Amino acid sequence: MKKFSNTYIFLYVGGLVTVIALLLSLAAIGLKPRHEANLKREKAVQILKAAGYDAADKADAVRLLGEVAKPKNNAAGREMYDIRCPDGTEGVVVYVDGKGLWGPIWGYVVMDEKMSEIKGVTFSHKSETPGLGANIAEPEFEDRFVGKKLRDGDGNFKPLQIVKGGGHSDDPHGVDAVSGATITSRGVENMLSQSLKEVMQ
Amino acid sequence: MKKYLGPLNKENPVLVQVLGVCSALAVTAQLKPAVVMALSVTVVCALSNLIISLIRNTIPPRVRIIVQLLVVSFFVVMVDMFLQAFVYDVSKMLSVFVGLIITNCIVMGRLEAFALSHKPLPSLVDGLMNGLGYGLVLVVVGTLRELFGRGTLWNIRIMPQAFYEAGYLDNGLMILPPMALILVGSLIWILNRNPKNAK
Repeated sequence: MKKFSNTYIFLYVGGLVTVIALLLSLAAIGLKPRHEANLKREKAVQILKAAGYDAADKADAVRLLGEVAKPKNNAAGREMYDIRCPDGTEGVVVYVDGKGLWGPIWGYVVMDEKMSEIKGVTFSHKSETPGLGANIAEPEFEDRFVGKKLRDGDGNFKPLQIVKGGGHSDDPHGVDAVSGATITSRGVENMLSQSLKEVMQ
Repeated sequence: MKKYLGPLNKENPVLVQVLGVCSALAVTAQLKPAVVMALSVTVVCALSNLIISLIRNTIPPRVRIIVQLLVVSFFVVMVDMFLQAFVYDVSKMLSVFVGLIITNCIVMGRLEAFALSHKPLPSLVDGLMNGLGYGLVLVVVGTLRELFGRGTLWNIRIMPQAFYEAGYLDNGLMILPPMALILVGSLIWILNRNPKNAK
């Protein structure tokens, strides 16, 4: 077997790392526009889905969102839109963000004009456990929020409770948690109460 | 030629050598991610084999694992970036499992056992065949799980509506991870039940 000197080994590995790093950087720069377009489209799909649009035609999502929604200024500086829902009613979209068990979670909440009732939500997550916490992004969980109330009888903001093994469908302020994902569910609860509090008058 | 076809049958990396099982279990709930994963591993395995074989005489043996890892990581990150750019939905479904191709024993195994000691062209074919052998299992398991778990293939409904009206139900267990283990186990059993297959 050939003998290799230490100098050769250092230079060899160093050179290889440099070449690979260079190639990867070039690829990353080259693909960046496509990647950003994907993220933008993904965001549009999320908002449209929360508002009740059939977002099956993903290619068209950005254009459709531009037609039905327009950004809404607010004191909190939070990302918000006025949106026209498919049933013809007006709604408000609020971007919410918080922490799950392993990383950030975020989503869009669509409410009626008075911001008192939820019309729909979509959640996303960076790295929740597949099959447990990751289920917050499943329609099965998201559908549980539809029709829930965000204000009490006096019109004050009342955060939703995400209840383990509870949250009957007739409880207007409670939602059933994801089983097996206590901390992620609590993360969703905190995310909603904190993010929505900022924009509720 | 015959020795290169081994991975598709008697030397299948998943079913006989029982390598790469983790990702085979994780991404096979539906056919589409399974196919994309199969292609990704095939590309990574074939190209890393080719590159390592091309530079095999310049690699210092003491750091050969590091060099192999560098080359494999390069291709995996490339594949990941391309998936994110061109098939964003699938790349979200595959999540961490694309990155984990780096640690897939099939890839490292072929580099160690074949590419380091063979010429570039045979190495390329060897990597290709091992990737396809892995992909074959993914496609079979993915097909069974999606068909019986959701009644669809590639998100297109296959099970006729009449079946459901007659009382047929999708088997939810098929989508869950334990069923992937049982299916892969059954395939291993079927392939190894014939003693002639044993080496």
